[in-house]
Amino acid sequence: MTHEGVWVYAVVDHAGGDVFLPAGVAGTSVRALTAGGLTVLASNVDLAEFGEAALRRNLEDLTWLEEVARAHHNVVDAAARLFPVLPARFATVHHADASMVAAFADRADQLRAALARVGGHTEWGVKVYAVPKQRGAQPVAAPAAVSTSTGAGTGSEPGAGMAYLKRRRSEISAKRESSRTAVASAREVHVELSGRAAQTRLYPPQSPALSGTKEPMLLNAAYLLDAGGAAGFASLVGQAAAAHPDLRLDLTGPWPPYSFAGQEA
Amino acid sequence: MAALLVRRAGGLTSAARDRDRTELPPGFPAERVALVDLLDRVLAEGVVVTGEITLSIADVDLVTVSLRALLASVGTLNRQEGR
Amino acid sequence: MTHPIRRRLDAGDDPQAAERGLASLVLTVVELLRELMERQALRRVEEGTVTDEQAERLGYTLMRLDERMNELVEAFGLEREDLNLDLGPLGTLLPKE
Repeated sequence: MTHEGVWVYAVVDHAGGDVFLPAGVAGTSVRALTAGGLTVLASNVDLAEFGEAALRRNLEDLTWLEEVARAHHNVVDAAARLFPVLPARFATVHHADASMVAAFADRADQLRAALARVGGHTEWGVKVYAVPKQRGAQPVAAPAAVSTSTGAGTGSEPGAGMAYLKRRRSEISAKRESSRTAVASAREVHVELSGRAAQTRLYPPQSPALSGTKEPMLLNAAYLLDAGGAAGFASLVGQAAAAHPDLRLDLTGPWPPYSFAGQEA
Repeated sequence: MAALLVRRAGGLTSAARDRDRTELPPGFPAERVALVDLLDRVLAEGVVVTGEITLSIADVDLVTVSLRALLASVGTLNRQEGR
Repeated sequence: MTHPIRRRLDAGDDPQAAERGLASLVLTVVELLRELMERQALRRVEEGTVTDEQAERLGYTLMRLDERMNELVEAFGLEREDLNLDLGPLGTLLPKE
């Protein structure tokens, strides 16, 4: 006999009536429960896969994590397009409906306040990269009759070595300077975009191996926007990109307000 | 020419590699989100409701620290900025 | 947990990718040494602790090494920018450009 638990997707503001939502994690169907006057979206899951020990194992398996995270997002995202949504923390699992309902009812006021704060808002992500500069000009042309063993000063252009050192020194300081200005530029963009947001959140820049890009990432930010803010945000980002040609901007959205659902300190 | 790339967040269809960036006509499910962007958000926050086997913040961080090492990168972790 | 470095070499289906992965690891180490030597040399020249002749020889050698790196990198179908070992939270091995 399989032991079932309850996987929670989100708290939503929805009075009643059927809603059609996509399948949830592990292909389970999503149901709506009432808890403390709130509506909670959840699925029944097999504890053999979603119990505490199993989760500890599975969360470290990137293949499993990808499938479950995407299924979870599918549900939360579909719900967010229908009504105000407060996303639950990923991997919130209860042993039974009863304990889940009790836990939510216990925090009903806080959850209602959080739902009021982020419900109906969308999250937009902006990643800022430095536009790459080519590494120096072509290497200083190798002198014609070069003998590799004897090195400088014999049969080669006088001062080629010093010229190289001078060039490298100015390249290195130019790189440092452009790095400084790029970071300052990215901060300016963040300030411009924050003006439109109810809340912002900064994430650590993604490593190139993960983001799949070669250029350094200077900013990885999330912006919480109401409907009005969201409407003009893409063009605001476009303006910021035009104003900062030393940067490349990457916009994703709208997301459900994942980054802003946590309890405020 | 300003460099701006806009991608709509949306749900997934199947478990293919997520580097697919083809434009879909309107009415289709929006383009697959990049896994790294999804995990950034989904693993970081959310309503914390502790139940009998809900992983608390500390527990989840411990379990996923190996993934965070993968996902994290150069730079210090910035705290959530409120307004 | 798959370590990022091990992941990079896990190219069972594509031996050329594995070879390229290995080459980029080796060349990254070589590039790191080259870069360290270059910075050392520049510091010495700035501090004036080498003669003009020594500086010229240092510079010339480094220049040749730099050219050689370009050749090696091209031979493996890589780019200079590929030579950077990302250690995750520990940061990249070479300072980012």
